[in-house]
Amino acid sequence: MRIYSTLILVGAASLALSSAPAAATGAIKCKAGPVSSWKSQDVLKAKLVKEGWTVRKSKVDGGCYEVYGTTPEGDRVEAYFHPVTLEKLYVARRGEVLFRKAGY
Amino acid sequence: MPFDSSLASECMLRIILNKKATFWLLLSIPALLMLREYGAGNAIAMDMLHPTGEWSARFMIFAMILSPTVTILGPRPWLGWLVQRRRALGVAAFCYAVLHLIFYVVDMGNLDDMLAEFWALGIWTGWAAMLLFVPLAATSNDSSMRALKAGWKRLQRLAYPAALLVLVHWIFVHNNLGPALVHFIPLILLVAARYFLSPRPQTKGA
Repeated sequence: MRIYSTLILVGAASLALSSAPAAATGAIKCKAGPVSSWKSQDVLKAKLVKEGWTVRKSKVDGGCYEVYGTTPEGDRVEAYFHPVTLEKLYVARRGEVLFRKAGY
Repeated sequence: MPFDSSLASECMLRIILNKKATFWLLLSIPALLMLREYGAGNAIAMDMLHPTGEWSARFMIFAMILSPTVTILGPRPWLGWLVQRRRALGVAAFCYAVLHLIFYVVDMGNLDDMLAEFWALGIWTGWAAMLLFVPLAATSNDSSMRALKAGWKRLQRLAYPAALLVLVHWIFVHNNLGPALVHFIPLILLVAARYFLSPRPQTKGA
């Protein structure tokens, strides 16, 4: 009984301390080839701002550029863009996909 | 008895460590570090969501694993020390949840956007958990404990549905099981272990 309890405690503690690797949210994947051929995130941001977006933050996720911001229509979203063509591939707010390009 | 300076300094250390204020200071360290990053402009409101929420869940889980741990291990001085400070852990969980909510509101910036995503599973569960946290935190003081008598313990059991809501919130806001389970599995195991292993009555604590 005491041994079981101790085992459970040790198991619980080791689980608590082991940090799981943070997986990418990866809503979609872009197989866009070598990074050297990608356009920069600044180019994407400038393009989006010109189109009426507000960009809060951008990063690479699933081989795509992931942008957090507000669309020209005023929706607060998370959006994915192709890093070479800068084409819009996926737009979602929490709990609802607003746009998904065919094939992605 | 001759004056023993090492004994005296150990005594001082003990007194400082046992001060409630020291414990509060300890609990506020993660917040101070986070807020410093935010203040320095290294983090935007969006970046504050994850750490504030994670620390809120950690303190909640920490507060909740104490009594099953006491039931399983039996009374221990270090456990008793922590059980005496359990209410502070709960209040800290609430304070980090409030920070989490504040940064959410700042990040979203307007009511329309918050309403648009309200019914997402990862969102309404967070609001509901926050709602349950309010009476828990509001009664985490001596006078409420005296006034509510046995009802206080019943009320504080709202922590269990709140924990379940937090778990669902965490999983679905990230669409990711791993990190949420790493935090919650110890709680689930310990609560289950207490349920299955122990015929002993629960140990009381504040």
